Amino acid sequence: MYYDLNVPYIANRGELQRTLAFLSERYNTIALDFAIIGKVPADTSNQIPTPLPFATPNSLRILRRCTIHLSDPSQNHRLKALSSAYDILAIRPDNEKSLQQACQALECDLISLDLSLRYPFYFKHQAMANALQRGVKFEISYGPGILNSDGGASRRHLISNATQLIRATRGRGIVISSEAKRALACRGPADVVNLAVLWGLGQDKGMEAVGNEARSVVVQAEMKRRSFRGVIDVVYGGEKSERVPENSAKGKQEKGKRKADVLEKNEAERVNATPKPISKREQKRQAKKARLDTGKNSQNSPKETSKGSVVLAEGAPTEDCPNGRSK
Amino acid sequence: MVRIKQRYLLIHILYPCPTDPAAKISSKSQENALPDLVQFHRPSPDDLTPQLLVRTIRDQVLLLYGDYGLGLVSSSLIIKYLSTATSTAIIRCSRAHYRLVWAALSFMTQLPRMSKQEQPRDCAIQVVRVSGTIKKVEEEAIRRARVAILRAKREVGEESTNGLLGILVKDEEALQGGENMTAGSDVSDEQDEMGIDSDGDG
Repeated sequence: MYYDLNVPYIANRGELQRTLAFLSERYNTIALDFAIIGKVPADTSNQIPTPLPFATPNSLRILRRCTIHLSDPSQNHRLKALSSAYDILAIRPDNEKSLQQACQALECDLISLDLSLRYPFYFKHQAMANALQRGVKFEISYGPGILNSDGGASRRHLISNATQLIRATRGRGIVISSEAKRALACRGPADVVNLAVLWGLGQDKGMEAVGNEARSVVVQAEMKRRSFRGVIDVVYGGEKSERVPENSAKGKQEKGKRKADVLEKNEAERVNATPKPISKREQKRQAKKARLDTGKNSQNSPKETSKGSVVLAEGAPTEDCPNGRSK
Repeated sequence: MVRIKQRYLLIHILYPCPTDPAAKISSKSQENALPDLVQFHRPSPDDLTPQLLVRTIRDQVLLLYGDYGLGLVSSSLIIKYLSTATSTAIIRCSRAHYRLVWAALSFMTQLPRMSKQEQPRDCAIQVVRVSGTIKKVEEEAIRRARVAILRAKREVGEESTNGLLGILVKDEEALQGGENMTAGSDVSDEQDEMGIDSDGDG
């Protein structure tokens, strides 16, 4: 399963459709991205229509994501309202302050820095680690670097920022996505991983960046929105098939039988609790004890041995019980 | 004797953009006729020769890595196979620097144009297999072509029942390379797995 969590939602239908078709050949899940620049509008409902106004490839799972461009940390962004409207909520900080805030406090799923720009500050490991600890991942978008519309600057910045980001996060919690406004800027997962390797990420972590890490973003976001306190979720298990009642009745019968069987067995065992055969070691020990005791007081020793054997016999059925139930 | 270690890259040249911009307006009818899969895997222009391709790659390496990178790469960089009909090529390069070549391929977005009046020919190059032996790469190319034929047939069957065009598309597709990506590492087992997956999907 490969994920591309950033495909900008553009009005140009033909281009978007083509991009999706192109991505669907190699990716399983994509997220259409709606960018909010500046003030958050009063209407926080999802701006991406469901279903999309054109045919999409069947194999492709399409999520809806919102990216807020954050420049003023003091502003209220109504993240709660936005996050409930979209599948994934990402934040794109413009400056060091807002990056710091996004890392430390803001409730979001992704921090997506625009890597085609130059940042006049270093990415600090402490802040990044803070974000990672909260389960917020960082995104590298390679699209602008590939299209390279401004004569090499965006590519240079992409490489420098990506290596910085990888250094600051120690390669942990990085998601790679395309941010491709045109189908031309999309690359296959393997090509992306190769680039990541050249930027210092390592083959396995690179694979995770388009696979597992991205998946965890999706799943975590889902859990945040739907589940009870982010812990328990009810999953739709599908309709019961016709043969299920028949089966379940059978199962119940069997289960009931088994339970009864187990109980009967236990009781029977308890009633005629035959002493379990004693191991040789135990025998020796008891013999030794008896020998020692005979010197002091000869009456106690037989009682003790019988007691020991009873304990063993009781221990045996209780050990059986969980097995019987689990079956 | 110690062999010189090589890597063979199997690449597909994909064309994500429609044939000519004028067709964009009437793209509806065209898209109905040709499934996206066939459009993306359309044949390369005839003037794409191995020499031209290798020159393009070198230019790209020079752009990305400068003289140093080109110096490392150029001695071993050779196009072993190029089929314009299927837009498939096999590139040989040294094992130590195959990632540089691969990155250069990833960053390529255009084929060089022959004349100045011509439209830029947008393309995306996808590496689908990396191997230490050319034999495995050839096998993979054949396997992918086979899968692509099956997929295209199915899509044509579903989308356009237009008989003559369907046959044409099938013939075109019959020569074409595959469709799905792989892990692209030199771990062949992993790649085979992915290949099987892609069969299942397609």
